[in-house]
Amino acid sequence: MVALDDDYFRALELPRMAALSPDLIAAAFPLMKLMPARYILDRAVADGALEAGMRIVETTSGTFGMALALLAAARGYRLTLVSASSLVDTKFKARLDGLGAQMIITEDHAGNGDQLTRLKRLEHIRREEPDCFWPRQYDNLGNSLAYARLAELLVRTVGQIDCLVGCVGSGGSLCGTGTFLRAVFPHLLVIAVDTHRSILFGHPAGKRLLRGLGNSIVPGNLRHDLIDEVHWVGAYPAFREARRLLREHGIFQGPTSGAAALVGRWVASTRPGARVAVIMADDGHRYTETVFDDAWLGSLPGWSCSPPSEPRELMVIEPGSEADWMRFKWARRNLDQIVHDGLKNEGPSP
Amino acid sequence: MAAVSKTAPFGKPLPRIGVGAANGHHGELLQGVFEDRNGELHRGLVTLPLAKLVSKATFTCAATRDLTVRPGDKVKAALAARKTLNHLNVAEGGFLNIESGIPIGHGYGSSTADVVASIRAVAAAHVVQLQPSRVSQLAVAAERASDAIAFDGHAVLFAQREGTVLEDFGGSLPPLLLVGFKSTEGQPINTLHLPPARYDSVEIQQFRVLRALVAHAVRYQDPNCLGRAATASALLSQRRLPKQHLERVIDIAEGAGACGVQVAHSGSLLGILFDHAGKNLRQRAESVAASVQRCGFCDVEFHQINDDGATW
Repeated sequence: MVALDDDYFRALELPRMAALSPDLIAAAFPLMKLMPARYILDRAVADGALEAGMRIVETTSGTFGMALALLAAARGYRLTLVSASSLVDTKFKARLDGLGAQMIITEDHAGNGDQLTRLKRLEHIRREEPDCFWPRQYDNLGNSLAYARLAELLVRTVGQIDCLVGCVGSGGSLCGTGTFLRAVFPHLLVIAVDTHRSILFGHPAGKRLLRGLGNSIVPGNLRHDLIDEVHWVGAYPAFREARRLLREHGIFQGPTSGAAALVGRWVASTRPGARVAVIMADDGHRYTETVFDDAWLGSLPGWSCSPPSEPRELMVIEPGSEADWMRFKWARRNLDQIVHDGLKNEGPSP
Repeated sequence: MAAVSKTAPFGKPLPRIGVGAANGHHGELLQGVFEDRNGELHRGLVTLPLAKLVSKATFTCAATRDLTVRPGDKVKAALAARKTLNHLNVAEGGFLNIESGIPIGHGYGSSTADVVASIRAVAAAHVVQLQPSRVSQLAVAAERASDAIAFDGHAVLFAQREGTVLEDFGGSLPPLLLVGFKSTEGQPINTLHLPPARYDSVEIQQFRVLRALVAHAVRYQDPNCLGRAATASALLSQRRLPKQHLERVIDIAEGAGACGVQVAHSGSLLGILFDHAGKNLRQRAESVAASVQRCGFCDVEFHQINDDGATW
């Protein structure tokens, strides 16, 4: 009998730390969503909500589903994932199939992730099979709580942290890590990275080329009042930064990691002496035929235009193009406050 | 911990005598629940030892099974001595004498210091060296919950109800100046009468970060990280054994550029932690001493921790 201190997934869910510059540390995960997925499943088993052999159902655009699929395969759960056609490529689907996950893919002509239809399908499955477990990554507090492990690791590695930069999709990683860090570093700045036409910070919903961050619904795990500053990064600057991370640092991460690194680098350069931590959510293997393929990139309309070197500061929140990078001082306000203030800025609504 | 075993001039063996000592402490820098290597949760703490507070035990072996202790009310120390004798497979008892300069009942760890000193004295009398982990386990067996004082100045995350180490931080705490005090209404507390603290999942996860701060503080000798862990742990402790005016003390500490505020999690002590290498240390320490006295606290004392003989 071999006794291991740490199980495979407790190790696989951890990031590797990379110093991108003297005061800029990146936590580069192979598959970040393993951290909340394992925590949520462990808690559910402890609470009796998840029993041996039960079915797990979830709506997911990708990496949370992959994390669930790995854990379900290892622990003997059945798994049904509801996703949208705009979000799942054939190779990724083949990997999930190979893990024994049942995939339900909704047609998504608008290309916005179609979250509402997916949630309706999930509700339907739960009515038919009431004895299943739904992790609810968007609203389950466990998603945020899991990231205490990331906060722990960052503190062990660098001690005091002054700025935290990360992408927002479910809100779990940034708000979870941010909450636990701010409890010990009250001055901590929390800087959110989103993309154009995600509704998380007040854009109208629309087609998004950069996937794995942003959302078309507002999840419960997103705590707007923690956020000091929001950056909307278009797909193109995110892709370029992912390429730069590989070329200049040998770090092979996906495009949302590129978006986070781009903002992190700018934050570190504008705040000398502040220690900045960046969360990078997944590795680059899923993107070899897109972000890391020159021909694919070259086929994108407007790809060759020169990338922004810094964000454009917004007074009123508005979406830009896939080549744009914008910034807004959120100042720990609620979404309602911002939307209300925004309307005031634009004059009374008709 | 010297063992004295001589033969007298006329061939009759003198009674074997062992001496052991152990320090008191100023409560905890951190107390909560923490994962072990397998992911299981344990109650744990990081002790703030005070070299100035000492309990000294002397054990004189006897030929009979009887074990007597002086002062007679040191029941747990006597029990620890007996358990140590059992561990050493010694049927004979002896006489245990304890001289302690540690005040009782405020969180200075007087009881554990007596217990650890006694275990060390018994072992020394039988010319045995016990590892700190063994001393801790014997201490827990004697008094149910213990602290990490058997590890002396070595910083560990200690499971106080099991007597095991959850994490060895690999060194000593960074050099600190502690301004310690207690509340005037602070009555001595019988720690065993306190129910074990219950923690919710948010607190359990927060403790991970506090543990990481202590690990970083020891590894990089960073008193600021240590202070932040202590302040956060003190605030989390307010739901169990609230300290009056803690928020005010934290304000005073911040105003003086201290690293943080520390409390005895099952006692009446509070302390303000300063970086021993900080500028104008005496002036700032005296200023907070005056402030906490105005706030109604008493018995203000200055303690140097791991100062390596540095003047201040």
